[in-house]
Amino acid sequence: MFEKLQRAFWKALTPDLIAEPIEAPTQGLLSADVVSALGGADNLKSQQRVALTRVRVQLQDAARLDAAALKAAGVPAVMVLAGGVVHLITGL
Amino acid sequence: MNPSQPLELLAPLSGLLLALDQVPDPVFSSRMIGDGLCIDPTSQTLCAPLAGTISNIQDTGHAVSVTDDNGVQVLMHIGLDTVNLAGKGFTRLVEEGQRVTAGQPLIEFDADYVALNARSLLTLMLVVSGEPFSVLVDGFVESGQPLLQLSPRDAVEALDEEDGDALFSKPLTLHNPNGLHARPAAVLAQAAKGFNASIYLHKQTQSANAKSLVAIMALQTVRGDILQVSAAGQDAEMAINTLVALLAEGCGETVSREVEPVASVPSATLLKGVCASPGSAFGEVVQVVEPELTITEAGAGEAAERATLERGLLAATHALQALQDKAGGSAQAEIFRAHQELLEDPTLLEQAHRLLAQGKSAAFAWNRATATTAELFQGLGNALIAERAADLADVGQRVLKLILGVQDSVWDVPERAILIAEQLTPSQTASLDTRKVLGFVTVGGGATSHVAILARALGLPAICGVSAQVLGLANGKPVLLDADKGELHLEPNLAEIEQLDAARKQQALRHQRDVAQASQPATTRDGHHVDVTANVASLQEVEQSLTLGGEGVGLLRSEFLYLDRNRAPSPDEQAATYGAIARALGSERNLVVRTLDVGGDKPLAYVPMEAETNPFLGLRGIRLCLERPQLLREQLRAILASAGLARLHIMLPMVSLLSELHLARKMLEEEARALGLSEMPKLGIMIEVPSAALMADVFAPHVDFFSIGTNDLTQYTLAMDRDHPRLASQADSFHPAVLRLIATTVKAAHAHGKWVGVCGALASETLAVPMLIGLGVDELSVSIPLIPSIKATVRELDLADCQIIARQVLGLEEAGQVREALRQYHAATVETSSVVEH
Repeated sequence: MFEKLQRAFWKALTPDLIAEPIEAPTQGLLSADVVSALGGADNLKSQQRVALTRVRVQLQDAARLDAAALKAAGVPAVMVLAGGVVHLITGL
Repeated sequence: MNPSQPLELLAPLSGLLLALDQVPDPVFSSRMIGDGLCIDPTSQTLCAPLAGTISNIQDTGHAVSVTDDNGVQVLMHIGLDTVNLAGKGFTRLVEEGQRVTAGQPLIEFDADYVALNARSLLTLMLVVSGEPFSVLVDGFVESGQPLLQLSPRDAVEALDEEDGDALFSKPLTLHNPNGLHARPAAVLAQAAKGFNASIYLHKQTQSANAKSLVAIMALQTVRGDILQVSAAGQDAEMAINTLVALLAEGCGETVSREVEPVASVPSATLLKGVCASPGSAFGEVVQVVEPELTITEAGAGEAAERATLERGLLAATHALQALQDKAGGSAQAEIFRAHQELLEDPTLLEQAHRLLAQGKSAAFAWNRATATTAELFQGLGNALIAERAADLADVGQRVLKLILGVQDSVWDVPERAILIAEQLTPSQTASLDTRKVLGFVTVGGGATSHVAILARALGLPAICGVSAQVLGLANGKPVLLDADKGELHLEPNLAEIEQLDAARKQQALRHQRDVAQASQPATTRDGHHVDVTANVASLQEVEQSLTLGGEGVGLLRSEFLYLDRNRAPSPDEQAATYGAIARALGSERNLVVRTLDVGGDKPLAYVPMEAETNPFLGLRGIRLCLERPQLLREQLRAILASAGLARLHIMLPMVSLLSELHLARKMLEEEARALGLSEMPKLGIMIEVPSAALMADVFAPHVDFFSIGTNDLTQYTLAMDRDHPRLASQADSFHPAVLRLIATTVKAAHAHGKWVGVCGALASETLAVPMLIGLGVDELSVSIPLIPSIKATVRELDLADCQIIARQVLGLEEAGQVREALRQYHAATVETSSVVEH
């Protein structure tokens, strides 16, 4: 006897059920210059805003990262971590 | 302290510098803890900025302070809200009290883990001893590079170690979830600094200067610690009062105190809850625990995982079908059918598939989808929906086990089991040998929860809403469950057990006698007759009520006749059902048919309606029927088809305005005329809204009868949801306010020569019978199994006595007093008379 109720609520709530922003790699998180400094779009496995001040990217090949180009593209600091994970510190 | 030597502090980390004002955390940006700066780190090892001693390092490894020989104290706090990580991602390299050199590594942390799991990595370096400083670097800093230059202060204020007797506060319990970590400790220290008195915070044998942040942190308090505040000096008393109040409020953190069990003082030997199903039992504790399932996040290819999920869902559907067939038409079967529907829910599946597309495993995707939705349900603040979250979790678990290939072990319950669980799921109870179970106790749930429905169907006692403490009871511990009082006795003594046992036996004996005499009329000793009729929802129940001495039907809940339909029944089908019920009763008995009583709280599949924010105050009962007049007209026609077969009465639910009655009567008359009926059926209204009761004298000339629905009348009069876990015990129909509305209704009806029935739960309570009769109620429509005992109760009463007790209770202050007065009356009359009879 609750199906009706459940269905009604689900319908009303569907917009909220769209997966967490964490999983959604949105376009425009990184500028074209930054993407190219990271080795191009095909070198980018994922990108995600984390910890208020950072964009966390996963690279296919961390060796293709160009630190000087990143700085030139306006990323003031970069933290290269294991497994191709890189934190771009973009500030608050 | 040597004031002549300037001290340089080294950068503890590499990273981007940030001014303290910019830190999005008021405790730090307000400099409450101390002045300093912030680094957004690019290195993962925190090093000592100066040589000194580790004056404090938190167990959780996210904060450390170093004090040098001159008393300069520097605190470093890695990340924001990192205390919640409880140490995960941090490795301590030094111990408290250890001497360190400048630049020595102190803490290593996993920057990626912290970034993904805490609010921020922003790391604070604060000079808590208060020396002014100048910043030597701008922008990016390398670890170990000189960062701050301290200007020595003329003198560091000595802490006022005042002599004299110190005052002590009462011991108090700390509620902060992570103890007094940096933020609350700073708030406390700041407040303490506002007093001249010397103030100490005590934890067991340790104590800390309450004006020193680092000292407070060094106490390493955790939630539940018992603390005391002491103070010496002029303003000591005020200081203690202020700080105790601050600690109780959580020092700026929101603290949730242990949720106290409903309406009671917690006690070591007694746990309280809400009665979900009456009765009592003495048995042993059996804790119900679900095995933890191991779920791998990454999938083995999207196609393969998709197939796995499909298989799991299909297997679950089959399993649920089998359970449904086994349960055959009972409340259980309904629940499993609802579970099947959940398996087909598009939103749930869409969510799972989205995760599969991201390369997650079937188990992970399904689990995440169901858990997220269940959480959402729980957060809606609606008890009914929240309980459906339990159903969703149950279905989720069922599919998950099938995906993971986890076999459900046959649940071997010992004899005399009192099952204890956070929440019992339908799947758990389906595989249960109910012959061995004596009762249920759950932490979650309410009167509409699955376990409550099941317990009532099985006639077993159950209580819900018990403190989580109950989950800690050892298996096999003997306990006494007194569901009537909503109590679980942990150390029952023999006297209590025997008393309940004797009461149970006496009840059974009395019930036997009442059933044997069920066919006798319900007439008081002084010759006043009361109609005792039945509340029914099916033809089968009508027949059952007649064998138990029912004198008619006082309430036919018509919406229940076609509950499991997705389409409205055809007019012919409806007419046939009403006809069969009317024929079973015969032309000498009353049949009161209540028109469709549905709404947001009681949805019906074939009456689509919008979800409402407050269904109890929305379109329900007659309001909905008048919105959809075709539905009502069709039902009226079907009911009118059985005119003459029984004494037909039509009753409108939820009437609150006179216009509603007029509109419905007009429709009824039109339909009756169209059918060529010579005699109009009786038309009455339910009195379940205070406005109808208060205006009963205005309604009375326009109706043939009233029937009082005490459940809704109580909840609307007291503004208390009767399913609310914390209010259920107070939403009591014995409240004098409700009784006064009943008295008003009866007086108005009798003044116009109309009769009044009570069809709510109050009529089914033997305790209420003398009061209702005394108030002048003409008919009691009761739940079927109680017909014999209600009739027997009436036979033991005197109308004159009832009128006296009714007058008396109307003047009382609250429900508890009414119950007590009636209990005394009962003891003085009914029980003595039954002794005489034996």
